Amino acid sequence: MPASTGQCLYVATSLSDAVAALADRGPAGAPLAGATWIMRAPIRREERRSSYVGIGGIAELCAVELTDDEIRIGACVTHARLIAALAGAEGCDGLVAAAGGAANPAVRQMATVGGNLCASDFPASDLSPALLCLDASVELRTPGGRERMPVGRLLDVRCTLEPGTLVTGVVIARKSLRTGHARLPLRKAGDYPVAIVSMAAALGSDGLVEDIKVAVGSVEASARRWPQLEEQLLGRPLDPARAHELAKAGAGVFAGRESVEAPGWYRVQVLPTLVRRAAQAALAG
Amino acid sequence: MPTNLVINGEDRISSRGSMTPLIDVLRDEFFLTGAKVACREGICGACTVHLDGRPVVSCLVPLGTVEGRDVRTVESLAVAGEPSPLQLIMEEHDVVQCGMCFPGILMVLTSFFQERPHAERDEIKAALVGNICRCTGYERLVDAAVALARRS
Repeated sequence: MPASTGQCLYVATSLSDAVAALADRGPAGAPLAGATWIMRAPIRREERRSSYVGIGGIAELCAVELTDDEIRIGACVTHARLIAALAGAEGCDGLVAAAGGAANPAVRQMATVGGNLCASDFPASDLSPALLCLDASVELRTPGGRERMPVGRLLDVRCTLEPGTLVTGVVIARKSLRTGHARLPLRKAGDYPVAIVSMAAALGSDGLVEDIKVAVGSVEASARRWPQLEEQLLGRPLDPARAHELAKAGAGVFAGRESVEAPGWYRVQVLPTLVRRAAQAALAG
Repeated sequence: MPTNLVINGEDRISSRGSMTPLIDVLRDEFFLTGAKVACREGICGACTVHLDGRPVVSCLVPLGTVEGRDVRTVESLAVAGEPSPLQLIMEEHDVVQCGMCFPGILMVLTSFFQERPHAERDEIKAALVGNICRCTGYERLVDAAVALARRS
């Protein structure tokens, strides 16, 4: 039986313990993994929950498993661990670049995959667009059992998940893909990016795009795919210059978010360049 | 509930709240004031310490998550009063300015050089993207770090 509610932080000893503790706390509780987003709340005058359930020490949430068919990433895998586990794995260049460019080295030792996907008020997540374009699925544990949903669906419903629901991991089906990830911070690195573009393309033996997914992060409140651009890129060679032109013509489908770091129009204006860079990275991978 | 941890090789117990940032425990309770409080959101790197051998920003580490874990602060770098090779080369290059960012930079570079002892200049600069120096003394400290990488 987990500790009673009212404690600031209860450190769960197992997955079932964590789910029970979260259910026990109801809407007042939330999971805490790397803690990097939750711990900064006071300085930003953001409200914190009254109770957290620590899940970062649960071994099965900290594992990365690679098989011929799929990659399973535990929700508490840190960015640094993800980079180490997936470096050189086919089709993972974009995801590794996303993890390796996020925040800074010390934060990458702490911030987790699950946290990056579940921090609903964090629009500049690098892993969200990278996982969106890999067609990743998310596994969840609830008091009632297990559930699986696409990453895009999680991004839509993450604010309304039933109390006691815990994201336990991410699953990526292994395919022969060219992937790239491009981000634009205002400094060279270390701050939140103005905009992010991730791309995953399946090229035929003739070099033509058979399947492609493009996802955009940090421009709007939540990362999302760019289906109009994907459709235009199908059936032709993956040409970064052409992708740039198409993105330039079609970027109006995004409504850039305003913030002190960058105005909304600027976030949209840089998208074509990031599309070109993501395509170049995908071809170079 | 008290938290047991090992700080610079010594067993310690803190009875602060479980969501207390580790930096506050280190500075206010154990008077290890090398790590500095600055941004409190993981951006400036001034509070960097090693947790189980890896650099973390201690402003974002809740005390309750470090039960039984190993914490090393900048005070541990000099063994028996003898500065580490990194500390010595920083002194040699007269790197230190106001000293606010410097302990965090030492902790990041100490960890980084364990993995990449012969790192090139660009790698060293990339390793330091999470350490902000308000004196803008970056070039001289990167020069010193490059000198150490070449020496090793």
